[in-house]
Amino acid sequence: MTEEIPIWRIKYHPKNLDEISGRETVKETLKHIIQQNNFPHLLLVGSNGIGKTIIAQLFSKEFLGKDYNANFKLVYADVPLTDEERKEAKAEAYVSTNKIGSSAGRSITTPAFIQARVKPFVQLKVLGNAPFKILVVKNFEALGSNQQSFRRLMEIYGNNCRMILITTNVSSIINPIVSRCQIILISRVKFVEFKELILYIAKKESLEISDECIEILYRISDSKISRAIDLLQLSSINGNNITVEILYENAQKFHNDLIKSLLLLAFKGDFPKARELSRKILSSYKFSAHEFYRLILIEINNLPLSKFTRIKLINLIADSDFRTLDGRDIDIQISALLSKICLFSEYM
Amino acid sequence: MSKKDSDIPWVEKYRPKSIKEMALPTARLGRQRINLSEELENFVKHFFEERKKVNIENKEIREFNRTVIEKEQKEEKKISSDIAAVLLEGPPGIGKTSIVYALANDFNMEVIETNASDTRTRSTLERRLKETTKSRGIMDFISESKEKLILIDEIDGIYGVQDRGAIPTVLDLIQNTQFPIIMCSNEYKTNLQPLYNKINRYEVHPLPKNEVIKIANNIIKKENITNLKNEDLELIIDKNNGDLRGVINDIQGICQGKIEGDVRDLILSLHRDNLEEIFTLIRDLFKVSSLKEARDLTDKSDVDYNFLYKWINENLLTFMKSNRDLANAFENLSLADEIFGRIRTTQYWGLLPYFFDLFAGGVALSRKDTPVSKGFQRVVFPRYTSGTYFSLTPAEKEFVEKLKRKYQISQIDFIQDFLPFLKILCGTSRKQLKSVSDWLELDAKEKSLLK
Repeated sequence: MTEEIPIWRIKYHPKNLDEISGRETVKETLKHIIQQNNFPHLLLVGSNGIGKTIIAQLFSKEFLGKDYNANFKLVYADVPLTDEERKEAKAEAYVSTNKIGSSAGRSITTPAFIQARVKPFVQLKVLGNAPFKILVVKNFEALGSNQQSFRRLMEIYGNNCRMILITTNVSSIINPIVSRCQIILISRVKFVEFKELILYIAKKESLEISDECIEILYRISDSKISRAIDLLQLSSINGNNITVEILYENAQKFHNDLIKSLLLLAFKGDFPKARELSRKILSSYKFSAHEFYRLILIEINNLPLSKFTRIKLINLIADSDFRTLDGRDIDIQISALLSKICLFSEYM
Repeated sequence: MSKKDSDIPWVEKYRPKSIKEMALPTARLGRQRINLSEELENFVKHFFEERKKVNIENKEIREFNRTVIEKEQKEEKKISSDIAAVLLEGPPGIGKTSIVYALANDFNMEVIETNASDTRTRSTLERRLKETTKSRGIMDFISESKEKLILIDEIDGIYGVQDRGAIPTVLDLIQNTQFPIIMCSNEYKTNLQPLYNKINRYEVHPLPKNEVIKIANNIIKKENITNLKNEDLELIIDKNNGDLRGVINDIQGICQGKIEGDVRDLILSLHRDNLEEIFTLIRDLFKVSSLKEARDLTDKSDVDYNFLYKWINENLLTFMKSNRDLANAFENLSLADEIFGRIRTTQYWGLLPYFFDLFAGGVALSRKDTPVSKGFQRVVFPRYTSGTYFSLTPAEKEFVEKLKRKYQISQIDFIQDFLPFLKILCGTSRKQLKSVSDWLELDAKEKSLLK
């Protein structure tokens, strides 16, 4: 390597399937597929941040070989369309009057996401010698009701393009899609394999790290490798000897305390400050309202509260989340939640 | 004053009958100052001369065409656009429409008007105007009927889906018209560009203040108003900022109502200025003591309720201090928001009354613990607008694009997971910051994201 990559997470990013730590069964299955040079649509299932996407990417890379760049596309179902894409989708939805058929001269109502992001890719012919193209759809469950329009898409363009759908939650995917796919479960990395990887990095970066530390690292990072590597890099800045204290200290820094301090402000009954902070969190992290409520919920379960308080708070959050579903202004709903917590704190 | 007379809006009652008796607003054509009345009179005269000429020529052409085969036929002549039509452009209420009516009155013409209250699709415009513009009516042959003047008022209101295809129709109309056309508009609009290219556009300026005072005094004298003080009149005129129609409307509004107590307050409550209106509306809203008062307030104001409840959200904290009040107010406000969202998705407008009562009265009447403040309370803009879509700032976008060349990551992961880590990492030392930014080839703007 000619240049030193300053971010370890990127530096130790796996370059091929073999470099992915653990998950032997999955790797074997995928390698088998590559040998056969054919596969059905795939559905990768596994929890957040354990490497589903990188597995899909590396697999496609090895499968397509040198035709990878032309025949591979990764789309994010949860990233909203830009204005241009929206416009484009609208323009393309119009069927020219020159065409024959009942839809001539009308606009078709395919969801904009598919119109703008998926269709242009799947409709194009395969380039080079690859047997078919590969489309990876990340966070597939975020499509919601638009999943329906994927059903036909997978059949019509299935010959031309195979899809790898990635999700965290099978139950949120409609049955017809599940039945069209081969499901591959991706598990968390096991401790033994995790330790191997960390030791490898430690050796490369000439760090000293004890087994105990690795165990703590495994726990703190929730067995997510990228987070563990981030933490390791942070801890290594002040010296090559990694101790438990340094690890904890950095984890503290790393751990997102904003939600906790938001809740504490609300418990103190300081509504103006709490609202200010909530706006700050939302604008810098760009959480969706639902995500924001989820984080608060997690935090509430971590805080030392009585069971009565906890259930009351959960009640408030649930109500607020429910209203946000229909409401139009996230800020009003979140402010409402905070004001209610502030009021409730007076009786706590 | 007869009873019937008092029903007429004074604006109509005192609309000038002749161009000579009206206070003419100043106008410009391009850079050149012009006398609007002369210009318009010339325009009408010139048009009819031209029409006469063209019609005679066309008659000959038609006769000639009858004698030859189709290939050799000549095309009929048309009046050129800048002779057939003019556009008056200026702020509302300065007398654009009045001048057209006065002009028509002077020439003894009939005005055919279409304005923004009509839907002006291609077909309706054609139905309404085209026949009039092209033909000359059956009565024209029998007796010498009135000439007509076509007024397309509020042409900048031609807009959107409902008025689709209206602009080409208007252009078409201008080419084939048998009557002069005058169009009025409030402001420059890009979708009217094809029009601007073809016809003369007169910019009309608001009347000077002393002219407005003269007219207002005239009306006050005629209506025998005694209870309006001079300084109040000036307040009205200042507030309307050259809008004569607004002034007359306000005078009528104040003087026909019962005048007891402070006229000044009444004048200020008649504001048309939107922003100031919101400020006072919000201040007033938090003073109400009954649901009915709150409802009256929101009914009377023409502030868009889409915004209004966001303003209330932002300003609640100024007017309520105790947590109990706040919680109750927000409970109502959030329910109102939910209802509004449902109305928009399901189109069930029957829910709207709940929305109004909840966001206005429901919020304002939640105040129990906090006393009504006597002092002036600052009303602020809604600063925080939460978008429904995940969107990045340009700098963030650039950053992700640069990062993507080296490391595949989604925008969401970048903002929520990777950027916080980078911030911590780069916060540890300058060396780290430098190595990261050098590696990613960041410029100063993107670098600032890391701090």
